[in-house]
Amino acid sequence: MGSVTFDVLTTAAILFVVSTGLMVILGVMKLLNFAHGAFLTTGGYVAYMAGLAGVSPWLSIPLASILGFLFGLVVERIVIRPLYQRPLDAILATWGLGIVISQVFALTFGRGVQFAPSPLSGTVDFLGVEYSAYRLAIAAIAILLAFALIGLLSLTRFGLNARAVIVNEDLARGLGIDSTKVRSLTFGLGAGLACAAGALITPLLSVDPNMGLPWLVNSFMLVLVSGVSFPSLLFASLVLGGTQVLVSTYVSPILGGMTIVVLAALILRLNPKGFSRA
Amino acid sequence: MNDAILSVRDLNSGYGSASVLRNISLDIKKGEILTILGKNGMGKSTLLNTLMGFVSPFSGKVMLNDKDVTDIKPHLMARSGVAHTPQENTLFPDLTVEDNLRLGVTSDRLFQQRISTIETIFPRIIERLKQRAGTLSGGEQKMLLMSRGLVAQPQLMFIDEVSEGLQPAMVDRMAEVLIRARDELGISVLLVEQNLDFALSVANRFMILKLGEFIEQGVVDDRTSAEHLSAHLAI
Amino acid sequence: MPDTNITVSRTHRAALIGCLIGLCVVAVAPFTLDIYLTNILIRTLLLAAVVMTVDILWGYTGILTFGQSAFFGIGAYACGLVFTHYGFGPGWAFAALAIALGVAAIVAAATGWLAFFHGSSPIYASIITLALPIVLTQVIYSGGSFTGSSSGLSGFPTYFWDLKVWFWIAGGFLVLTTTAGWLLVRSDFGRVLIAIRENEDRSAYLGIPVSRIKTILMVFAAMVASAAGFAYAAFSNVVAPELVGFQLGTELLIWTALGGRATLLGPVFAAIGIDTMSSWLSGAMPFLWKLLTGVGFVVVIVALPRGLAPLLTALWHRFWPKSNSMFTEVKITQAPASRMLRASFGDTPPLRIEHLSRRYGSLKVLSDVNLVGHGTELLGVIGPNGAGKTTLMRCISDGKERTDGSIHINNVEIGRCSPQRVVGLGVGRSFQNTSLFDTLTVAECLKLARYRLDGAKLFDRVDTVALPQPALDILKATGLDQKLSNETRNLSHGMKRGLELAMVLATEPSVLLLDEPTAGLTRPERMAIGEVLTRLTRDFGLCIILIEHDLDFVRAISNRVVVLHQGAILMEGTVEEVVASDLVKAVYAGHHEEEVA
Repeated sequence: MGSVTFDVLTTAAILFVVSTGLMVILGVMKLLNFAHGAFLTTGGYVAYMAGLAGVSPWLSIPLASILGFLFGLVVERIVIRPLYQRPLDAILATWGLGIVISQVFALTFGRGVQFAPSPLSGTVDFLGVEYSAYRLAIAAIAILLAFALIGLLSLTRFGLNARAVIVNEDLARGLGIDSTKVRSLTFGLGAGLACAAGALITPLLSVDPNMGLPWLVNSFMLVLVSGVSFPSLLFASLVLGGTQVLVSTYVSPILGGMTIVVLAALILRLNPKGFSRA
Repeated sequence: MNDAILSVRDLNSGYGSASVLRNISLDIKKGEILTILGKNGMGKSTLLNTLMGFVSPFSGKVMLNDKDVTDIKPHLMARSGVAHTPQENTLFPDLTVEDNLRLGVTSDRLFQQRISTIETIFPRIIERLKQRAGTLSGGEQKMLLMSRGLVAQPQLMFIDEVSEGLQPAMVDRMAEVLIRARDELGISVLLVEQNLDFALSVANRFMILKLGEFIEQGVVDDRTSAEHLSAHLAI
Repeated sequence: MPDTNITVSRTHRAALIGCLIGLCVVAVAPFTLDIYLTNILIRTLLLAAVVMTVDILWGYTGILTFGQSAFFGIGAYACGLVFTHYGFGPGWAFAALAIALGVAAIVAAATGWLAFFHGSSPIYASIITLALPIVLTQVIYSGGSFTGSSSGLSGFPTYFWDLKVWFWIAGGFLVLTTTAGWLLVRSDFGRVLIAIRENEDRSAYLGIPVSRIKTILMVFAAMVASAAGFAYAAFSNVVAPELVGFQLGTELLIWTALGGRATLLGPVFAAIGIDTMSSWLSGAMPFLWKLLTGVGFVVVIVALPRGLAPLLTALWHRFWPKSNSMFTEVKITQAPASRMLRASFGDTPPLRIEHLSRRYGSLKVLSDVNLVGHGTELLGVIGPNGAGKTTLMRCISDGKERTDGSIHINNVEIGRCSPQRVVGLGVGRSFQNTSLFDTLTVAECLKLARYRLDGAKLFDRVDTVALPQPALDILKATGLDQKLSNETRNLSHGMKRGLELAMVLATEPSVLLLDEPTAGLTRPERMAIGEVLTRLTRDFGLCIILIEHDLDFVRAISNRVVVLHQGAILMEGTVEEVVASDLVKAVYAGHHEEEVA
């Protein structure tokens, strides 16, 4: 029983970490980034290569976020910016980008599965339960990340500008905010977060050219259900991720695999606003 | 060279195929308040939106300090020293009063320096810095709006119907603030209004906009007949 | 007009010729191809038929679907499961095909219910179509030995016909479905699909049941895809979860985009070309080939959003200039005097609003509005900005808008009806911005407005459109009757306004809602519109609710004016009474007391 509780909490944490990058981009740019899965994969390969190079696994996470940020800036300039007026086309273009990225990895590293070293191995005794140390660490990181992102949005000038663009882009522009720059930085931030998340979860799993794909749809669903708000994303991860763990544990793992998708689709059908301001 | 801060020549503008403004020309000098009077739907807001760069003009020219700013990006217009207070959706209701004010300037350092000037003009706003802007009363929201324009220390302000929905006492207060901004800070103002008494109490000159064209203009002085002008403004 | 029924239309003749040429090519081709290529092409031709349905859904109707592979897979699995577990033979084959079509139809209908409803966003609908193949794949995984789980089913009994026969089946299926699709998108109904893509909201307000049309289209597209999947499974003797998966679903989209969306033939040829090439090249350089298609896809989306087909047709038209006789001249006739006249002169008022209120959170936009609109009455609604005028229009035309109160149209409560139902009750609404359908012609727009009353031909075009008298008057007054085959984006602003009004009148409303119909018009144009509105109330008994800032205009045509202020009715009376009122003056001058917060 105790370990199921931890499963629920750590799964929610992983889902939250994996979805933040997507939410940042959706919130500011109103763009659903289909390359999100490929960005996760990129983070995974960064962790793998860092491991090969003998870099500390802890360092691979910030390294992935920096590379992701720079990569995001380039992608925004070349692919995303021409498509601001065509949101459905932007979705398709990011999907095509995802294909390109995963094929580049397939060409470089082959189709096979690679492993990245874990910064923490083994289990620890926490509140009377033996549990994976690294999963607990991810939960802690998720909480820190939530605070850091809320802090970034509510305490910094960039956060203020971003919030202004989210709510009313025209008014923000009229006050001297360069919304193009805000969008560009946001895409970089979203890509950076996604890469970091990929590096973070890779030690739990493994990395292959399509590693990010299974996460893609689940994070879409979580983000659509939670609207643009980190607390509500945390809540959605907990509710939907928790249900997924319970269904997988007590009913069937395969049904568990589709829990988030089905639940989120029904929630959105009944209340198109989802959990936002619920 | 002429001494106008802003000069507009033969501006034609509108949305898509709809022509809203026809052959608009005007000049605003330094330290002058020019009021544009007209009923709803006559093109007043479209004029300000075109000058700010939100709407692309069909033809014509807009010069700011002798620099061509026709169809400029709005944020560049704002950074060239123009503060725009639109008529609707003017504040970020879910942000605090302080954040709304911070958005008036481009850096937080400048904000700290200038906040004191607001204190002398609208102390009530400074008292409520931590409150959400959406919870302010209608009058306080207008004060916040003016404050946000003033912290930018602009050389030119575009003000769209700031007196709408205000009590007479508040309207007088706004008039006082505008006159101070002009006389003490040298700010020029393009004031779009329907409230004739208010507009004439602050403006140096007036222009009347009807169906997208200027039909009358003049200097505000003792002989300006409010009775005559109100014919264009009565509902 | 009488000769139209005798001669076959140009479109039909072209379709017939194209179809015959296609069938001939299919009949001859297997004799010239080697076995390897024939094998590949059978799969490719079947997938091309699925791509054709993707183009109708996405290219023409604007539904970005990632899930068309799910229906292909359903057909394949219906074949595999029945032949493996139940039996084989002509009877079983027909039963399996029926199951394939039936299950695909049911799943498509359920998906449509989830994805399409008034107010659903296109992104949400796309995500639902993305979720569908993922969920189905999980279902197959959970089927254990029944579905063969991740390895699928193979080696089940099937008809081991000669490759040529399978090629003829696949090719014949493609040619016939594509011909049907080609006729569909060129029919009057095809124009309805384009209208939905270009402006879904506006279509709903013309009484077009957008969600139902999308769902039905989805069902038929699913059945075509399912039949293709069925044939593929029967031919290849293998079914696997990949046939359902969303990887294949997105590949279908990529082919559509590369070929050129909304060209129908472009995607079909792109599918044939690219899929054949991949089968060839993926042996030699598997990843590189996928990488190149990925790059090509991104480049096409960013730089050539209409795909490659338009480039080719442009080249074609350089040598064979486009003939102008493509558009058949449409004639306008008069619709029989109808409900429009009958209902409106009766005793019951066409519009009755009781205790209407609308709140957004704690913000009250309308509170306790009571209003009766009589036939033959033009009711002006005025008030300062933010008084709730447009919200009032919205509440009358969409049952889901109001928070409280009731609205009766011709004595029928509108309940929570969606806009297209409210149109059916007799409400016509024109919008503040001229939101027309850019690529459609004037005549096509008018047909669109008649869809609710007259329907639309599925595989054909009619060359007449019957309109009620007032709509005819407007067309004549604005000169639009001379511009029926012009695309609406080339019209002047005044004509657009006129067309907008004519379209709303073509739906034969008894209550007409007009939001600033004269904005942006010149003085003579305003006068013309004013005259038309007067006639509408006097001669046709319409009840018109008019939002207008220009009081001179209102004064000239209106019998009664309502002043809205802060969401409540401040005053009601003639224009003269309202103008003389000190209260109203105060509101407009901004001298009224601010509400104490």
